[in-house]
Amino acid sequence: MPVASIAGLAVLALLVAAPFGLPVFAMTLLNELVILGLFAMSLDLMVGYTRLVSFGHAAAYGIGAYASGYILLHTELPLPFAVALAAAITGIIAIGVGWLCTMATGVSFSMLTLAFAQLCYAIAFKWTSVTGGSDGLAGIPRRAGPFGIEALTTKTGFYYFALACLVGAFLLCRALVASPFGAVLRGIRENEPKAVALGYNTRAYKIAVVAIAYALGGLAGALYAPFAGFANTELLFWLLSGQVLIMVIIGGSGTLVGPILGATFFMTLEHQLSSYTEAWALFFGLVFIAFVLFAPQGIWGLATEWLSRGKAPAKEVRHG
Amino acid sequence: MNTFAFLLNQSVNALSQAALLFFLGVGLTLIFGIMRIVNFAHGTIFMLGAFVGFSVVHWTGTFWAALVLAPLIVGLFGAAFEIGILRRLYGREAHAFLMVTFGLALVVGDVVRLIWGPDALQVPRPAALSGVVFVLDEPFPVYRLFLACAGIVMAGALWLALERTRLGLLIRATSQNAEMVHALGVDVKLIRSAVFGIGCGLAALGGVLAAPLVTASHGMAFAAVIDAFVIVIIGGMGSFLGSLIGALLVAFVQVFGNYYFPDLALAFMYLIMMLVLTVRPGGLLGKEA
Repeated sequence: MPVASIAGLAVLALLVAAPFGLPVFAMTLLNELVILGLFAMSLDLMVGYTRLVSFGHAAAYGIGAYASGYILLHTELPLPFAVALAAAITGIIAIGVGWLCTMATGVSFSMLTLAFAQLCYAIAFKWTSVTGGSDGLAGIPRRAGPFGIEALTTKTGFYYFALACLVGAFLLCRALVASPFGAVLRGIRENEPKAVALGYNTRAYKIAVVAIAYALGGLAGALYAPFAGFANTELLFWLLSGQVLIMVIIGGSGTLVGPILGATFFMTLEHQLSSYTEAWALFFGLVFIAFVLFAPQGIWGLATEWLSRGKAPAKEVRHG
Repeated sequence: MNTFAFLLNQSVNALSQAALLFFLGVGLTLIFGIMRIVNFAHGTIFMLGAFVGFSVVHWTGTFWAALVLAPLIVGLFGAAFEIGILRRLYGREAHAFLMVTFGLALVVGDVVRLIWGPDALQVPRPAALSGVVFVLDEPFPVYRLFLACAGIVMAGALWLALERTRLGLLIRATSQNAEMVHALGVDVKLIRSAVFGIGCGLAALGGVLAAPLVTASHGMAFAAVIDAFVIVIIGGMGSFLGSLIGALLVAFVQVFGNYYFPDLALAFMYLIMMLVLTVRPGGLLGKEA
């Protein structure tokens, strides 16, 4: 069994065991981390594997959160179904988004995704009857599962549900990038004209990957709403789009695991710094700058380099 | 109020708004044109300008000194950042710049909070500009009229500087083909530093001018950077004229939209942006598609 799989299983075991050893506040943080990790990983499909650098991934998170919040508040649907439905809604909306945004490439693509996310932000702000306007949706319940599964209403039960979503999404993404579909995505990343010349309808592939990435990002948002108990316009704000992009890059794009580590690093650093100093944003910013200057390969790249030290010559790490 | 007076009033209002947006957008577009980087810190630089302006007014007692000194100080800071950090990154992928400028935004935002405190600061309008004038019997603030004029004058001056001076020529040449300019014996590094400094200085000028209108506050950075993006995207990344058109379009949509469709004004701006990008992916006057 390769080292990476053993390490992965060990981390998973720790995550499963966490509720038995960690205090409540740490569990809350860990649960948020699981959700953010899922969010960052979903963006990696676009940024890392297809080089579709989205500046507006908050749209996926926000739509998912508002959709699951609305469903949980206004229907009797059990939690897992509400979350799944919210993710599906996000994915379906994303087909349109993907169709629109992939008309452009490069910086223009980034800007179109940003424009769509900001449009959602503006709509959430003004469509008060559905979204609650600037107050957002509050008091979103963690309803029990189907067949009377009450466990999901507890903090620990919900944590396991979120963890299961993350693991499931990770396995799905890993299978996806290893499949022929994933190979075409990498082809688009490396040289799109070549992929076109080989007869691939690259636009269709790009729309598909946008829809999948948004659906998974929507899943993360759909989990966040019942986790936090609210959904507000901040979940759609461009600042979140910037932050999640940085999680992906700082962790190491195109690795799936890297962005989860990036989210962990981002959240832990933010939490630790803000408990030590008022001026946490200052140090936070300096860390970003230092990362770009001294560790361009990201956390995952650093880790794999360190592991393979002294063995075969270090493999060139792609950060696309 | 008769309709014509109202429209005139609102149009001058929009022009004054456009002036502020233009200073913001033109700096961003110049930086993009030369360096192909999206400066995430641009809104924060705009805010820094407003706060530095506040201090200069405080020390010297005159707004006019702030109008000159604050952009100069912030511009030098921008050039120093380019020399110290950005210069090491040319040739790296685009997201390196995204992260560095995002980091810069966090650092500068926090430093501003540490120096000037968390509260919004009132910058008084200079006495000469604090009154109202009557336009067709309707009162109109002199300061907004001044902003509109300042925008027109500065747009003209910048255009002349880009088209008629040697530095302008070099800037345009570098944005078209940096290697060729380098091969002709021009120090391209110096031009990049200068342009980053000038771009930051222009944003700071916008910040100083905006401060008496809206107070110097931390929130202005977030609103500003997204406005700047929209302008530059609509006009076309790297196009001077595009940023002017973008600023006018956004300002008129904001002012008239807020009046006629207050619920939709915010969405309008982004809808226009999406429309422009889907029809012309490079923006109205952009070269890249």
